[in-house]
Amino acid sequence: MRAVLARIASRPLPAPLLGGLALLAVMVAFTVSPGTFAPYDPLAFDYNALLSPPSAAHLFGTDQFGRDILSRTIAAAAVDLQIALFATIFPGLLGSLIGLFVGWYGGVADAVFGRLVDLVVTFPFLVLVIAIVAILGPGLANMYIAVTAVGWVFYARLMRGEVLVQKSGEYVAAARVLGYSTPRIIFRHILPNAVRPVLVYAVTDMALAILLGSSLGYLGLGAQPPTAEWGVLIADGKNFFTTAPWIVLFPGAAIVLAGLGFSLTGDGLADLLEVRR
Amino acid sequence: MSRGAWLVSRLLQMVPTFLLIGLAVFVLARLLPGNAVMALLGDRGSDEAVARLTRQLGLDQSIGMQLLAFLESVLRGQFGTSLAFRIPVTRLIAERLPVTLMLTGMAIVIALALALPLAFVAALKVNRWPDLLIRGVFQVGLSSPIFYVGLVLLTVFAAWLRIFPVGGYGDTFAEHIYHLFLPAVTLAFSLSAIVMRNLRASILSVIRAEYVDFARAKGLRSRVVLLRHVLRNALIATVTLVGLHIGSLLGGAVITETVFAVPGVGRLMVDSIFARDYPVIQALTLVLAVLVSLAFLVTDLVQMWLDPRVGR
Amino acid sequence: MDNGSSVGRRFVLGGGVGLATLATMGMPTAARAAAVRGGRMVYARYADSLFLDPVLSDANVDIWVMNSIYDTLLMPTPEGIGVQEGLATKWVLGDGGKALTLTLREGVKFSDGTPLKASDVKWSLDRARNPKNGAWNEMIASIDAVEITDPSTVVLKLKHPDPTLLPALAMFNTGILPQAAFAAAPGATEDEKAKAFAEKPIGTGPFMLTEWQRGQRMLLKRNPHYWKKAPDGQPLPYLDELEFAIIPDDATRILKLKAGEIHGTEFVPYSRVKELQADKNLRMELWPSTRVAYLTLYVRDKLKNGQDNPLSNVKVRQALNYAVNKDAVIAITTLGLGKPLQSFMSSSTPLSRKDGPVYRYDPAKAKALLAEAGFANGLELSCIALAGNQDEMNNLTTVQQMWAQIGVRLKIELLDNPTRTARYRAEDFQMRTAAWTDDIADPSEITSYFAYYPNIHALHSGWEEKRVNELFLQSQQEVDPAKRQAQYAELQKIYVDAAPILFLYETPYPVAFRGNAKGFVQIPLGNNYFEAAYVEK
Repeated sequence: MRAVLARIASRPLPAPLLGGLALLAVMVAFTVSPGTFAPYDPLAFDYNALLSPPSAAHLFGTDQFGRDILSRTIAAAAVDLQIALFATIFPGLLGSLIGLFVGWYGGVADAVFGRLVDLVVTFPFLVLVIAIVAILGPGLANMYIAVTAVGWVFYARLMRGEVLVQKSGEYVAAARVLGYSTPRIIFRHILPNAVRPVLVYAVTDMALAILLGSSLGYLGLGAQPPTAEWGVLIADGKNFFTTAPWIVLFPGAAIVLAGLGFSLTGDGLADLLEVRR
Repeated sequence: MSRGAWLVSRLLQMVPTFLLIGLAVFVLARLLPGNAVMALLGDRGSDEAVARLTRQLGLDQSIGMQLLAFLESVLRGQFGTSLAFRIPVTRLIAERLPVTLMLTGMAIVIALALALPLAFVAALKVNRWPDLLIRGVFQVGLSSPIFYVGLVLLTVFAAWLRIFPVGGYGDTFAEHIYHLFLPAVTLAFSLSAIVMRNLRASILSVIRAEYVDFARAKGLRSRVVLLRHVLRNALIATVTLVGLHIGSLLGGAVITETVFAVPGVGRLMVDSIFARDYPVIQALTLVLAVLVSLAFLVTDLVQMWLDPRVGR
Repeated sequence: MDNGSSVGRRFVLGGGVGLATLATMGMPTAARAAAVRGGRMVYARYADSLFLDPVLSDANVDIWVMNSIYDTLLMPTPEGIGVQEGLATKWVLGDGGKALTLTLREGVKFSDGTPLKASDVKWSLDRARNPKNGAWNEMIASIDAVEITDPSTVVLKLKHPDPTLLPALAMFNTGILPQAAFAAAPGATEDEKAKAFAEKPIGTGPFMLTEWQRGQRMLLKRNPHYWKKAPDGQPLPYLDELEFAIIPDDATRILKLKAGEIHGTEFVPYSRVKELQADKNLRMELWPSTRVAYLTLYVRDKLKNGQDNPLSNVKVRQALNYAVNKDAVIAITTLGLGKPLQSFMSSSTPLSRKDGPVYRYDPAKAKALLAEAGFANGLELSCIALAGNQDEMNNLTTVQQMWAQIGVRLKIELLDNPTRTARYRAEDFQMRTAAWTDDIADPSEITSYFAYYPNIHALHSGWEEKRVNELFLQSQQEVDPAKRQAQYAELQKIYVDAAPILFLYETPYPVAFRGNAKGFVQIPLGNNYFEAAYVEK
């Protein structure tokens, strides 16, 4: 492990990683201090500027309420960043713990897990999430519950696989011979090695989480108004696509850039941490 | 274990999974707030009308009875009658399933047609401009939400340029292909990006692997090397990948079918969830689960055929 | 009566009738002269039909199509306020308003070629008024017996004089079906037969259903036996085929129209009307309607969850109404196409109050009323709405912003359709978005839902006013038009002052066609008429 870290430290950061991190830094800046960047209150109406095209006063134009699209796109960054993080951290943590458990102990737990995996992977992810959100009611909190309820499986499967590989490794056998306790073996030897692919997967998954969150927002099942969320912004502007395309194009570009940020970072991390995918 | 026995055991393993899925979806469907009567009657139905329709649709029966009826209908190979459309669910699915199968099939073909050659180009020109350009474009594709891509393609190619129809399915086979082309491209977007990326990586690793050097040393021309070794390995990886992504393709079909007004099972599924059409939800879930499982199975079979080392 | 886009909701309810004087209905003379026979028209609908039985059907998506298949004895006039000839050519009230004698049209045939008989009429009406059948039997509950006096005369004996009977005989649920064909439909029970019959319905209407791919399209062919004639004396309809294409997505329907893949579409979003008006290849039609948009306010002291409900105070409800600038809502949601409400019913509904818009925008008065009610520091309210419905969202977003000015914080809760309906019926809401369209050319239907408590607790708001209930019951048997008018005037005034709803606006039906697709008619009740529609080559 130390050797790996040393090797990593001695290497220059790959360009995609830098690009990805730069995009994410912008997103974080928008989240931390939207007021610094947004020229207007994202919820303020301007009856004198309904549906006005991009101009000096409104760089990204305005929507049917006269709200400034640039300010709304910036305000939405916080919501989508939250989606990216929560929709991966919750299933990631839960899944990793379960994967660690079934991978280490095997037996009945592993068999049950296998069945569960079969169950979840044979069902389109999006449809299942839509169904659960329909049960719980729309909204971000319920969306996280739905994504966690379905998404943990993928992390668990990954973690379980890594644990199985590590478990059969020589140093674990050695540690056992030396009489180390199970927690010590898990936390000192297995986890540090197994966590790298999970981490890389999680970062790439964040890009997918943004797409999922905006898709649900687009269907009216995600973020609730008047919260600005990129998918919701696009859904709001859909009817104006031919007459006022700026309402849709800018938030759409934001989704693409945020997605790029996460997937480039994920790719860069994969290279850096030598995770083969 | 022989191939035949393996196949049989795989198929048998699926049965309890389907049973579990059937049960799970039966419960999930009934956890949805409101029911088909609420969806059908809307605001204006009187209490008597609600009671009558509840009885007509069999929703006044106990959950246990409903479960029994469901299991019985499944065993008879039927799925009951749609609560919303009031026609046999099998008929409904028979009308819609081919549309979605064709859409996903076309999406896979398009994704591969894009990804295969470009992955080779990218791998052969690794880290030079063609590679960077291809990777950049696909990366953007991977980061674009389906509904957004669909909206843009629809507006540009159907509304402005009028090259393709706006949506629908058409009547003849040729029309089906024509109508499904834009939706299929939309659906193919992210799959092609994933396939391209993995294919490029696996081509690179094969190219760099020693046995290719060895083969080269034996004097084979590099083109033959590529065809013989790289292609096979790359294909195995691709087949696996496509197989694993059937589920997400079907999920993507939900949104694609909505944006393009394609009458497939994806849209039917979401509509049925919103209509609380229990029999359709249940039947479609099982049908999709069987489809995905079969896709996994076919993936394994193709893998075995391409790579004799894979066996169980 | 809701507004939106998911299956099973009703916002336009068309009747099962055609119009005898279609040719005079606002079509330019040139267009009439150019009417082309033959060909197919493709018309896009937002949702498919479910069950084409006029009596048992529950959904507006059926009712819109049924008037192309079935006829009624009387038909609404184009303005949607009176009735005119349908399958009956003469109707005479007698016995002090307790008997209606109807003379049937000669030579009418069903689409299967069998002649229309008086027994079909009696059977159809008896079926429609059977309290065990369908959601609409109440509309003709005043009928005591249907008697056939000779092969072309039917007499309706009434329990009491009923001013709403004539418009009710022009409503889709009294459509006339062939008894023999219905009886011959497969199935052991009446319900099974209805289901089988409705798959291949037979009526006297201009078209007959020949092909139906659920959720995709419906193909109707011209009924060769249709009785109505065009101005040139040749039989209607002009079209050989009428196809309904099912396209739920608003944007897709419009793209298809622009690309020329369809000839017409219903429910153009208001936000797109201007754009389509500017398109030279298209013709944007805005038909006068009875559609009203409003928020229902729950007025009981406690909400379903036990919390105190500030909306039980009439001053709060009035304040909320004063605080909303209806013109701004109309400008944003309908891009100026709507009109502020003058009553809870539309200005196209007979006997509606026409004293100018109610609750003109007055934020100062709103603030004062709130202070009087003890909410000088503002309050928090919640509203349920339909997820994915752009119009409702626009209304609420605007209202939310305006209420914020008087210290009212609005929480919006988006729900899918069945959840929303279930909570409505359980009276588990504080406010809810809604829209309504009349089915009958009479104020009684909307009033029984909005104001008359015993029916559905005044839109499940819990609002009850004894005087309103009395006035409504009196008006239901009042045959003197002037007295009935006075009753409705008083009733509407009480309702407006008590404000159990937030009054928003009324809007026309926005329908768009290709320039060469003409002759479609939509009346204020929402009925769609294709009998005189045609497509120029």
